[in-house]
Amino acid sequence: MTVAAAHSPGLALRQVAALARRSTRETFRQPALVAPSVIFPLFFAALGASSFNRATSLPGFPKVDSFLQFSLAATVVQGVLFGSVTGAAALATDIENGFLDRLLAAPTPRTGILIGRLAGSAIFGAAQAAVFIAVLWPFGATVRSGVPGAAVMVLSGGIVALAIGSLMSAVAIRTGSAEAVQGSFPLLFVLLFFSSAFFPRETMSGAYRAIADANPISYLVEGLRELVLTGYSGTAVLQAILIPLVACAAAVMLALRSLRRKLAAR
Amino acid sequence: MSGASLRETVRSARAISVRNLRGIVRLPSAFMPALMMPIFTMIAFAGTFAAITKLPGFPTDRSVNWFMPLGICFGSAFSGIGQGFSAIRDIQTGFYDRLRMSPAPRASIILGALLASWFRALLLNLVVVPVGVLLGVRFTGGLLGILTLLAASLGTATMALGWGLGLAYRFRDMRAAAVMQLTMFVVLYLSSAQMPLALISGWLHAVARINPMTNILRLAREGLVTSASGGNVAWANTWGGLVAIVALSALTLTFAWRSLDRLSR
Amino acid sequence: MSGHPVQAPIVAEQLVRTFGDLRAVDGIDMTVDAGEIFGFLGPNGAGKSTAVRMLTTLLRPTSGRAIVAGFDVATHPDEVRRRIGVALQDAAIDPLMTGNELLRLQAVLYGIPSGKVKSRAAELLERVGLTAAADRRVGTYSGGMRRRLDLALSLIHEPTVLFLDEPTTGLDPMSRMTLWEEVRRLNREGTTVLLTTQYLEEADQLADRIAIIDKGRIVREGRPRDLKAEVGSPTLLVAVPREQADAARAVLQEFGESRPTAEGTLGVGLRDGARAVTDVVRRLDEAGVRLQHLEINEPSLDDVFAEATGHRLEGE
Repeated sequence: MTVAAAHSPGLALRQVAALARRSTRETFRQPALVAPSVIFPLFFAALGASSFNRATSLPGFPKVDSFLQFSLAATVVQGVLFGSVTGAAALATDIENGFLDRLLAAPTPRTGILIGRLAGSAIFGAAQAAVFIAVLWPFGATVRSGVPGAAVMVLSGGIVALAIGSLMSAVAIRTGSAEAVQGSFPLLFVLLFFSSAFFPRETMSGAYRAIADANPISYLVEGLRELVLTGYSGTAVLQAILIPLVACAAAVMLALRSLRRKLAAR
Repeated sequence: MSGASLRETVRSARAISVRNLRGIVRLPSAFMPALMMPIFTMIAFAGTFAAITKLPGFPTDRSVNWFMPLGICFGSAFSGIGQGFSAIRDIQTGFYDRLRMSPAPRASIILGALLASWFRALLLNLVVVPVGVLLGVRFTGGLLGILTLLAASLGTATMALGWGLGLAYRFRDMRAAAVMQLTMFVVLYLSSAQMPLALISGWLHAVARINPMTNILRLAREGLVTSASGGNVAWANTWGGLVAIVALSALTLTFAWRSLDRLSR
Repeated sequence: MSGHPVQAPIVAEQLVRTFGDLRAVDGIDMTVDAGEIFGFLGPNGAGKSTAVRMLTTLLRPTSGRAIVAGFDVATHPDEVRRRIGVALQDAAIDPLMTGNELLRLQAVLYGIPSGKVKSRAAELLERVGLTAAADRRVGTYSGGMRRRLDLALSLIHEPTVLFLDEPTTGLDPMSRMTLWEEVRRLNREGTTVLLTTQYLEEADQLADRIAIIDKGRIVREGRPRDLKAEVGSPTLLVAVPREQADAARAVLQEFGESRPTAEGTLGVGLRDGARAVTDVVRRLDEAGVRLQHLEINEPSLDDVFAEATGHRLEGE
């Protein structure tokens, strides 16, 4: 790549930063799209709290103050997932406007561009997590690990959003189709439901239990949940941060490999 | 309405609904999600919340029994609202002008959509119930229970259809679709959707108690739960749902009928 | 009595339609006689489509009155609908349906008896030359085929009055000719036609009478030829050998004032119209001027349009 050599690393960094600023601005500029991804998860949290409060006495349920406290972790992950719909739609638009072609032709490092493009979603994901914690805490969703734990949750929310964004980008680059991006989105919701996000694994049985046991989202949510219900622990932080981080790295690698293959095919 | 004009209405309505049903075969990508959604709801809810059946006072020990009717009512609501989506599309492409320009009775436009939504809801039952039975659903209330489920399903479709068409006629663009989905979602969930009324606590109990959807869900589930009368469909648990269906259907269909006239204003 | 049939198939009296503050149709008075092809000519947004939507019962007039096929559109829309055929601008056709299916649906909506639906559909498909494509989905049709299908749909109940809203907008010249031919044929068979168009040529070629619509009002109405004659005299262009130009100019001056022309030709606005041409030729001959070329240019509908509205419809 002779073109790349012509640019200094400093310039590349500035370009990535500019992309990140642009994508952040774009995300927050659309209140009509953003509002549902804050309101809906809160609605479901309130609904669940009222519906399932008696369920907390069931065998297999951890010791909790309320069902709301139990479900805070799920609200964060579910909310970030909801919020990523906007990002996925933006990505679909980008595909139609030829963003991928620009990516192929860009002199800046491609990883940087991808991450810069997703920065807006990541910041929004972290903001969502912060809002959910702040709103639900006074209603009985006490975070036992205190402010440091809450900070980890916010960080985790950001990384989850980044992971979803890079997964969507991988799909986008592989298929080059906006429809495929939109269409693969419900699969993430299916994945979320077939995990221990909404109810403890200990209460499940049969095939459903087996799927939840194998589903990495179970461990992500359980890590977050431990921060809420019990307190600060190394394993909990590891689960909350490492799982989405690994998913993110894998997705970025997948995306770059598809990109290289596309370039070779030209 | 005279006999001749009734015949004319039904004939036109049938032709309009046939056009709509062709869409199931010719554009399956639009229909499949509507079919998969209730199946997913049933499986995911029944699996995730399986343990709630162990709560004292829960009316069945099979969580699929509890959540299959919810999935079906959900799907039926969307087969009604789906006609609202189609109406928006047809208004925007001008196909509705073709219908409105014709001398066919105005009622046939709404009746045609109603027949289509019923057919879609029936198709849904035909697929979801066997899947449910495979997953362990048992009609403990006997065959009559299938009928109450069907009544709730078609009733929900009718209510949703009137609401969906009325909104489509008023807004004439995708804003209507957003309002339809949002309201349907809220009405369905602020009920005994997830838990029996007796086991719900707090604000939701107060809301669900007056939400007619709770009555309709009770009707839908009557053949699948152990009711007070010992496993049989009991009139005490069904009439409330039937009344809710008739009253709300009349209300939303009137809304649709009045709004149809607005298209020419 | 509004239910009482009157002679003319389309009558509008002070027809008005407002959308909020916008007066889309601002008091239209018109009469279309039986057997006429009547053209609404005007640019996009002039109010043509809104007027047609009122005349075809799709839109209620804000004020004023319209009698179509003998019935008031506001009070007896069903009677009007039974008697008119309409092909709308966007050819509202479901791409998932086949031509045949659409025709059969249309037949049911217009109350064609079950026994006749099939034969009527086949007959109309034949008429517009779509028999071979009858069982193909409309989504695969070309623009011209769609318009022809739309025309067939509007004829299902053999209407006496036909409304065509921009029937050839976006069509290639060949398809346009085919459609014109079909409209003429229908008209010969006795159908009264009201069409809207933004094409001068279409109005000129097809319509017996036209109404020029601008900002919701009819600003000119009449036969295209008369309208053009009203705008002004035709221009006569002659080419003569260079050495005889002065002599020729002197002769032409007797017939009207000279008009600017391209280099090498002389132009004159004929004061007495085209019939003066024979006199011009005779006088030039008498003056010994040898004619190399002669051409007469009538004012175009665009000139009529420009004169009536202050702006041109085509080009600029």
